[in-house]
Amino acid sequence: MASPPTENQNFIKRLKARNEAALEELMAQYETKVFGLALRMTGNRQDAEEILQDVFLAVFQKIDGFQGDSKLSSWIYRIATNTALMKLRNRSKFCEIPLEEELGPKMTEEGMIAEPVVDWSKLPDEELARKELLHWIDKALTALPPDYRSVFVLRDIEELSAEEASQILEISIAALKSRLHRARLFLRKELADSMMAHFPNFKMVSPK
Amino acid sequence: MNAMLRCRDIGKLLYDYVDGTLEPVLKQQLEQHLADCPGCLAFINTYKQTINLSKELRPKGMPPELRQRLRSFIKSKSLQPPGFWKRLWLRLAGSS
Repeated sequence: MASPPTENQNFIKRLKARNEAALEELMAQYETKVFGLALRMTGNRQDAEEILQDVFLAVFQKIDGFQGDSKLSSWIYRIATNTALMKLRNRSKFCEIPLEEELGPKMTEEGMIAEPVVDWSKLPDEELARKELLHWIDKALTALPPDYRSVFVLRDIEELSAEEASQILEISIAALKSRLHRARLFLRKELADSMMAHFPNFKMVSPK
Repeated sequence: MNAMLRCRDIGKLLYDYVDGTLEPVLKQQLEQHLADCPGCLAFINTYKQTINLSKELRPKGMPPELRQRLRSFIKSKSLQPPGFWKRLWLRLAGSS
């Protein structure tokens, strides 16, 4: 697959020369991604806008030091993630994420599911329910500890590869995988609980 | 072979299964279990749906006023030549 024009050396030279058209091209390409990441990381539009401005300012101020060791996009995502994490560190403490076993259905001693599981995956074309689900995910995201949230945002919302996300966050693939799985389990459970609370008549699937 | 996988095992294989990296033998065993276990099927369906829905949280664009404010902000900062802030800081630090 061909790299986007913003990844080529000539473009980076133009950026280093503070070429206005190049700066504009860079913003046009990344502003929505950076804003989206900041919004999902902080859950707050005002914070997201501040992060957006801080990130592009940092990018333009630090571009001379960009050596091309990583893709330009990874470098920008790293600045954006770190800026958002810094913002989150100023907030009150986050809860610990429950253990993996506590995020799934209860099991019998033999390791079989011991309680009904709601299958809300096939919504009967109910836009309202879908919007509700999106709203609940968004809300549940803010309850995720920052280290889990950053992984989930980069992998499942921004859809970056595991390799790129692990480089951006400077963690191993194994750590990335473990955090992502727990983040997904946590969000799935939050959605299931919200679904049960708001749509009590939703179809239940019982264990065999 | 099907009887060997318990619901608890499914949870441990789930990530690789969804990722498409589960080895074929285990994949087949897992799918046999799912065919026979509505609870695990519901769990795996909703796990996948959580991932699918999350993609929709990515904004499709930015509000025009936000784009405008970003450009004004950057313009106000980046009109200075490279090294301007550093030189200013050194000058201020030297004069104190």
